[in-house]
Amino acid sequence: MSEEELAKDLGLVSAMTIGIGTMIGAGIFVLPGIAAQRAGPVVVLSFALGGFIAVFNALSVSELGTAMPKAGGAYYFINRSLGPVFGSISGLGDWLGLAFASAFYTIGFGQYLGELIELPSVLFLNSIQVGAVLAGVAFVGVNYIGAKETGGIQTIIVAILLGILTLFAVVGWFSFDWGTVTGSGGLTPLGTAEILPATGLVFVSYLGYAKIATVAEEMRNPGRNLPIAIVGSVVIVSVIYTILVTLMIGIVPWPELDLEAPVAQAAEVAFPAAVAGLAMTVMTVAALLATASSANASILASARINFAMGRDRIVSDWLNQIHPRFATPYRSIIVTGGMIVLFIALLGRDVGLLAEAASVLHLIVFALLNLAVIVFRETDYPGYDPDFEVPLYPIVPILGATLSLGLIAFMEFWPQVIAVGFVIGAVAWYLLYARRYTPIQGALGEYIRERPDEMPDVAVSAAEAASPEATAAYRVMVPVANPETADELIAIGCTMAEQNDGVVHAVHIVEVPDQTSLDYVADKLDEIDPDASERLASAVETAAAYDVEIETHTVVSHRSFQEIFASAERLKADTVVMGWSPRRPWTTGRTGGPLEELTLELPCDFLVFKDRGLDPSKILLPTAGGPDSDLSAEAAKAFRDLHGSTVSVLHVIDEETERAEAMGFIGQWAAEHGLGDANLLVETGGDIEGEIRAAAADHSLVLIGATERGLLIRLLGDSLVYDVVDQIDQSVLLAERPAKRSIRERLFRRG
Amino acid sequence: MDRPVEHEDLDLLAHVLLPVADKEDALSSATALEPYQPDHVTALHVVEKGQGVPDKTPVAQSEAVAEESFEAVRMVFPDADEHTAYSRDIVGAIFDAAAEVDASAIVYRSRGGNRIVQFLSGDRSLKLITTAERPVIALPRV
Repeated sequence: MSEEELAKDLGLVSAMTIGIGTMIGAGIFVLPGIAAQRAGPVVVLSFALGGFIAVFNALSVSELGTAMPKAGGAYYFINRSLGPVFGSISGLGDWLGLAFASAFYTIGFGQYLGELIELPSVLFLNSIQVGAVLAGVAFVGVNYIGAKETGGIQTIIVAILLGILTLFAVVGWFSFDWGTVTGSGGLTPLGTAEILPATGLVFVSYLGYAKIATVAEEMRNPGRNLPIAIVGSVVIVSVIYTILVTLMIGIVPWPELDLEAPVAQAAEVAFPAAVAGLAMTVMTVAALLATASSANASILASARINFAMGRDRIVSDWLNQIHPRFATPYRSIIVTGGMIVLFIALLGRDVGLLAEAASVLHLIVFALLNLAVIVFRETDYPGYDPDFEVPLYPIVPILGATLSLGLIAFMEFWPQVIAVGFVIGAVAWYLLYARRYTPIQGALGEYIRERPDEMPDVAVSAAEAASPEATAAYRVMVPVANPETADELIAIGCTMAEQNDGVVHAVHIVEVPDQTSLDYVADKLDEIDPDASERLASAVETAAAYDVEIETHTVVSHRSFQEIFASAERLKADTVVMGWSPRRPWTTGRTGGPLEELTLELPCDFLVFKDRGLDPSKILLPTAGGPDSDLSAEAAKAFRDLHGSTVSVLHVIDEETERAEAMGFIGQWAAEHGLGDANLLVETGGDIEGEIRAAAADHSLVLIGATERGLLIRLLGDSLVYDVVDQIDQSVLLAERPAKRSIRERLFRRG
Repeated sequence: MDRPVEHEDLDLLAHVLLPVADKEDALSSATALEPYQPDHVTALHVVEKGQGVPDKTPVAQSEAVAEESFEAVRMVFPDADEHTAYSRDIVGAIFDAAAEVDASAIVYRSRGGNRIVQFLSGDRSLKLITTAERPVIALPRV
């Protein structure tokens, strides 16, 4: 078995159990009393209608899950299709919705716990809230430590629950009385208008199926098992709800149905007097198991959503630190746990509102999910090849989105306020935080931006405005400290920027002594450095010759060299173009430990220019053919494309006999780097620096790639890497690309 | 579980299996092992799996941790091999991996912690040294 298969250890039964286990607790054990008081006997219709809407969404989730079995589920699909604005809404909505749902489940747990033992009230918390907080803390603890349930325990719990509920249904059937159903004012004593708001309330009972998709990557044969588990669990749960709620209002008149422990109450009435007490206890234990497994599954699912959001930088990856000993995403679990306890404390006395908050946030997510299906299909998203396709496309996803959003419109006032407030908050979160960090652009935004002519202008500008900054532009940062080279550096920066459709940031760094407070200087920049604005104006003028945007910044710092790195990080520069001469202020003893650390970990590409006049007409590009000269090759290509430079690639070999092979090799290297038209110079003798010296005489600019890590540090520390740089009369551009990014950066940042 | 294969020279350090938990653990374990100059190192990361229940930690996240750990081991032993196992039984997975790569010894560094923490995370040191069928070397905790 391959490792890939070993990682997948969830079969169909386990997956179905996750869905049923998450769903069954909430709806049947907690809500019937509250929902019946809102809608009357037609509450049965509300439950059935909730299941009906859920089935549409389940079909869409199934298609998405089989196309992309990834951790994160709904969030992942929406972020990849509709882009990070909607990704933020869905990810945060799913997370917050799960926290509301968990608070709701734990309150349910507390209500049934109150049937068994007497809990005290503590401070402003009533006894139910105390029970709920205790349960919440326990579930968070279990997830924090990562205690592994025995393989089949969830399956056993769900089997026991289904068994108990079946028994209840059979016994209840004999106590069912149609007269009890209609006895308190007919079927619709409160009017049919109450059906839909009650559906919004009980929709929280149907959240579990989407959680199956969050573990899709761990499932065996997801193409087959995922749709069966998702759709199957929704259908099974809908049927159970409908039957049991019907029975309950036929056993206990709906106005008398208990608000806290309705199933225990109905069981007490339905079972023969001799075993009524036992039946009630069994139902209570079942309710505890059910609400516990719902809460536990929700906390677990929320960690997956956080992981997926952290990977895309929608939230800080800080959340996803793995505990060194327990190997769990403990911070994410603690933060989720904190929200659950907060919701229990604030809203625990209104369990209906908790349920509605969870419902409304999930309805938003489900509506977006249906749109995700449509976007993936219509944009021919690369690699989108679901094993399961929704039937009757596009009717099913359109209906799914419409029903989900439509239901919100019929919900009560406060849940609607929560929905609107949440969407505003999530969009603000994206604009103020995530937009700066996330590198992901959705299929929709990409599709629109690539077709500016076919699409309505409104759509194009909306897509532009919403697209993440990280993918918006290639950034070149140019520190313009030295007036003698500033214009040349700007020209090089503009060349790189124009080649990559990017932006130039000209940064003027003003160094002040340690004794001077930076705040003090900020007001008096003109006095301290009178020509700063002049230099930046000159930079803008130079840039005018290029088709690039230029932005200017003035930064005051105690450490001008370190500031280059800090600014590069802050501006998220892709390339820094800087000048170098042995007399730079930062080589006068200011360097030391921190500098070494800085230069060992370059934040981005660096081009360092040794200025002897900028004339890019004839470029010499020495290379050993390795990745070290990738960046210098890119720079050479930019100069060729924009300045019409001729490029000569120089390769030095040891023996003449290697020539033919070397020509072929270096020709291929040049072609791979888009320099197929370059002159190929192959020299023998093995003296690389000597050959560079000799060849430089015929050229106007030499582009040298770093041959090993740490070129910059040695360069700036006065010890030259290549003596040749000082021995020739031509300008030299040294290129260093960070040799080794950490894995996380390689995977998640600039890819 | 199979018996260890007879090594010709029975050199304990011919091919050691180094189980690592995360980046920090990997780096300190590898650094502690380095002075003894093992001939060959295979780094092992065991992804804890529920096997039937969804895991507390997303598998993709665990795999990223594994990759970081291997990278850290390679900072000390550039030629180290890597091996990822998936199991709910960490110690069992270590033994299986040792058999699979035919390691001459399992090298580990205890992660310390007080009794309660060791109890909560399962005292693996004890199980490792008492049930192994091939040599186990405990590195000093410095």
